[in-house]
Amino acid sequence: MGGVHPAIDTIVTAETPEGISIPIRPAGFAVRACAFLIDALIRIAILSVCAFLFSLGRRVGVGLYLISAFVINWLYPVLFEMSAGAATPGKRALGLYVLMANGLPITPAGCLIRNLLRAVDMLPLLYAFAIVSILLRRDSRRLGDLAAGTVVAYRHEIERAGGLAGGVPIPPPVVLTKRQELALTAFAWRVDRLTPARAEEIASHAAGLSRFRPERATSDTPMTDRLIGIARWLHGDRQ
Amino acid sequence: MTALDFEASNEAQWLELEKAVSGGEKTLDPERFLFLYRAACEHLALAEARGFPAPLVSRLSRVTARAHQIVYRQSDLGLGRIARTLMQTFPATVRAHRWYVLVAALLVFAPAIAMGYVVAHRPDLILSLADSTTVEEFGRMYDPANPAIGRLRDAGTNWMMFGFYMANNIGIAFQCYVSGIFFGLGSLYYLAYNGALGGAVGGYITSIGFAGTFFPFIATHSAFEITAVVLSGAAGLRIGRSVLLPGRLPRVASLQIAARETSVIVFGSAIMLVIAAAIEAFWSSAPWVSPGAKFSGAAGCWLLVAIFFLRRARAD
Repeated sequence: MGGVHPAIDTIVTAETPEGISIPIRPAGFAVRACAFLIDALIRIAILSVCAFLFSLGRRVGVGLYLISAFVINWLYPVLFEMSAGAATPGKRALGLYVLMANGLPITPAGCLIRNLLRAVDMLPLLYAFAIVSILLRRDSRRLGDLAAGTVVAYRHEIERAGGLAGGVPIPPPVVLTKRQELALTAFAWRVDRLTPARAEEIASHAAGLSRFRPERATSDTPMTDRLIGIARWLHGDRQ
Repeated sequence: MTALDFEASNEAQWLELEKAVSGGEKTLDPERFLFLYRAACEHLALAEARGFPAPLVSRLSRVTARAHQIVYRQSDLGLGRIARTLMQTFPATVRAHRWYVLVAALLVFAPAIAMGYVVAHRPDLILSLADSTTVEEFGRMYDPANPAIGRLRDAGTNWMMFGFYMANNIGIAFQCYVSGIFFGLGSLYYLAYNGALGGAVGGYITSIGFAGTFFPFIATHSAFEITAVVLSGAAGLRIGRSVLLPGRLPRVASLQIAARETSVIVFGSAIMLVIAAAIEAFWSSAPWVSPGAKFSGAAGCWLLVAIFFLRRARAD
């Protein structure tokens, strides 16, 4: 996971009591802005319906409208983020959810604080503080998230199609370091998404691994196939 | 052990856990779920340490992350928890912040008393805080000839005013809390400003001779309203202090602790303000209740609020 290229990924990890680290993929500015717009439209729609219904009630209606406007504006995110999906409809539609930065599910206090501090994030206008904070931070948290210890993240990780490329397993000619093994297996798993010429170009960087026993590979065997063979052997295919 | 052997010998457990996290968790016995979760955690750590292929590691990582969310989920969100928070955690947290509450109260009452005294003797000074139209409206609101005290003649019904008071007051309380993040300056400003404005209005109303309607009007709901604003401001001061003087913690960590600890105060204050708005709309403004009855009710409410926050003070 993140270990190979930590510098160019936005993944943050949270360590659990079980001693594993959970990868969290924070949602950036663009997707959160879209989620916000969806939520804003839903809120406006609900408020319009309320305004219409309560307009039938004259002055009692005005009071009820003020109450509902207050409740919808302040409690809308709180209620949805405390419910089972931990996301407002806008976030849910875009596959986002809110969780604590330590990887735990969102707590009521965290949820309340992040939505209360919306009032600060809105300053000086148009959520400027939130936007600056989200753009500057690797984990894309606004001030409310920082105070509450929460983070908005993608719920699902993208699963890459494809599997280990086929071929004859080849025992590695030298003892490989863990890093080299990782590079080889990563290559063998994604070679089906590369053009053969590009695959061979990448594989040629491992030319040092060219001494093989002849029954497994000859000097004609393309470097790509040799590397796939070593990866298959490492994976456990010893036929 | 190679990745293939590892997969072959443990796959059954992973499949069972994957099935459980994708919705069927209720069908699985909790002990079994926890066992599978811990096993998967161990397998993930092993797979990473042995450099097993990325797809295997990410599969384990996915299923453990989902299971982790389920294992540590807070299932207890019932009414009992909310009641306990309001009835016990809220007053206990307020007591733990008594110095902040004291400072916040001083910040409200000192300007209120000072402005009240000054404006009662020189009514034109109220114009330094509010414009003449607003001031004139205040005057008409507390005119004894007004059929509903504390609002303009054409303002609307009790329900409408309930909605208005609630939104307005909770807005002020939130402002006092949230603006504390600017090194406490926001809380200082809003507490002192609202105190000064309230005092000035009181002084002005007294100077034009409507004190007989004004004080019975504010006496009751202010028990909840002023207390709630002071408490929100106190929480805001705590937030400000956590940013200004984080001690040995990083600023963000200090802010997180302060926000977590004070959030219950803000929650409790919001509930108090809903109560205050209801009293203000349906009781304080009712002209058919005699001032004597209003003052008795007010005494009861202030006593109630005091007991609520001071009871069991020795226990913690």
